[in-house]
Amino acid sequence: MKWAENIGRGLFEPERSTSNGELWFFKFLELFVSVYTVIFVWEWGWYTQLRNVEVVLPLGLANYMDVSLFFDHNLALINAALITLLVILCYFRIGPKWLYMVVLILFHLQYVIRFSQGEIPHSQNLIGMSVFCFAIGAWFFPGEKQMPRFVLGSIIFFIGLGYTSAFFSKLIGTGFNWYDGRHLWLWISEKSIDILSREGVYQPNILQQMALNSTAIASVILLIGWFTELIGFTMWWKKIRPYTTALLIGMHIGITLTMNIRFDAFVMQLILVGFPWYKLIDHFTVSMPDIVRKWI
Amino acid sequence: MNTGQTKQGMKIIGVIILIYALLVATHEGEFWPFSIYPMFSQAGNPWTRAMVLDVTDTTDDLIWHVQTLDGKMGSPVSMRNIGVDQIDYSNFISKTENWTESRRDALRQMFGPENIGNSRWMAAKVHGKMIGRDSVTVTIQPFLLVTADTVHMNPLLGEEYYFQGDH
Repeated sequence: MKWAENIGRGLFEPERSTSNGELWFFKFLELFVSVYTVIFVWEWGWYTQLRNVEVVLPLGLANYMDVSLFFDHNLALINAALITLLVILCYFRIGPKWLYMVVLILFHLQYVIRFSQGEIPHSQNLIGMSVFCFAIGAWFFPGEKQMPRFVLGSIIFFIGLGYTSAFFSKLIGTGFNWYDGRHLWLWISEKSIDILSREGVYQPNILQQMALNSTAIASVILLIGWFTELIGFTMWWKKIRPYTTALLIGMHIGITLTMNIRFDAFVMQLILVGFPWYKLIDHFTVSMPDIVRKWI
Repeated sequence: MNTGQTKQGMKIIGVIILIYALLVATHEGEFWPFSIYPMFSQAGNPWTRAMVLDVTDTTDDLIWHVQTLDGKMGSPVSMRNIGVDQIDYSNFISKTENWTESRRDALRQMFGPENIGNSRWMAAKVHGKMIGRDSVTVTIQPFLLVTADTVHMNPLLGEEYYFQGDH
């Protein structure tokens, strides 16, 4: 299949040799994902311990087991501690090559324990998908030079797939009139209640006021966002990737401004994987003094 | 990765897509971290959220009536200040079908009796919908009156409002 080979070349770049900058960047990306994994599992563990009382909405594995068992006796915190330990072992490549898969399963468990209260957030999905890609990469491509290519390529693949999938979810869920600006009015009013309830006060910003005052402006905002989602899959090709990534980051800034939904980890990871940072690192390592380069 | 490993990589991604599709298809679009990303996919529908109003100083004959956002009785209680995730709270209110005694008590525990103190907090549903073609209307439906040790249902609402599923 030519198209699959074409996508594979865009994602994994078999013609390009591995540089030191690429290996350095990969360890930094892994550190970023590891740190966020640890932050999330502890945040979720503490919240569960303090606030979760009953299962309102069972997600994932919670459909097959009673996760309310983890609400007490510090079990969610113990799970967080276990994940933290395993993440450190994985980062330093200590232990079997399937250890990342154990991290993923425990991470999934922590998510369904914490979010059994009805909310289905997606802002942590990219970190979760990254851990999944690390798990697959460590298992099937454990080589020092192969794992970075597979992990980064597969993360980019699933980011692109996710955005384009979101476009079609809207097309199927609503139809071609999804971008009608009045839909944005409803979402702005809905999110304004969340902000009012969360903070005790709410004041619309300039962009929200503009959208609420003009159906045309609101429609254009939605149309730009929807189109950007559609072309998410173009990230699969190296030359287009930085431009698509820039549009996606712009879209997330737009979502934050219009609907007060923040995707901090998501956007930071887009910045990391969407641009060829290894070239910058290679440039610095070439131009730095010999003594420093040897030490590194 | 060489060309052979690239092909192997694409085959593995193909297998993952199949597993991905199978899991999200059998779990209503969500099997974290797999998702069909359905947020905002259904546009134009009326929505229901929730908020908490401090009605300590509001008289009993007024607290249970439907209010507008501009004419609400009592100031909103900040969920952040009491350490509760607003989205969790909102979903807890809107997705619970049967307000059994244990579920009502779970709401009181979520707020934390120590946070409520001597106050009276009204857990309210907030409904929003399009009116005509050019405006959105928002109404506040008082739902549960929560104090440090009790939870009262709105006497103006029928039992069917609190018990909608099998119980």
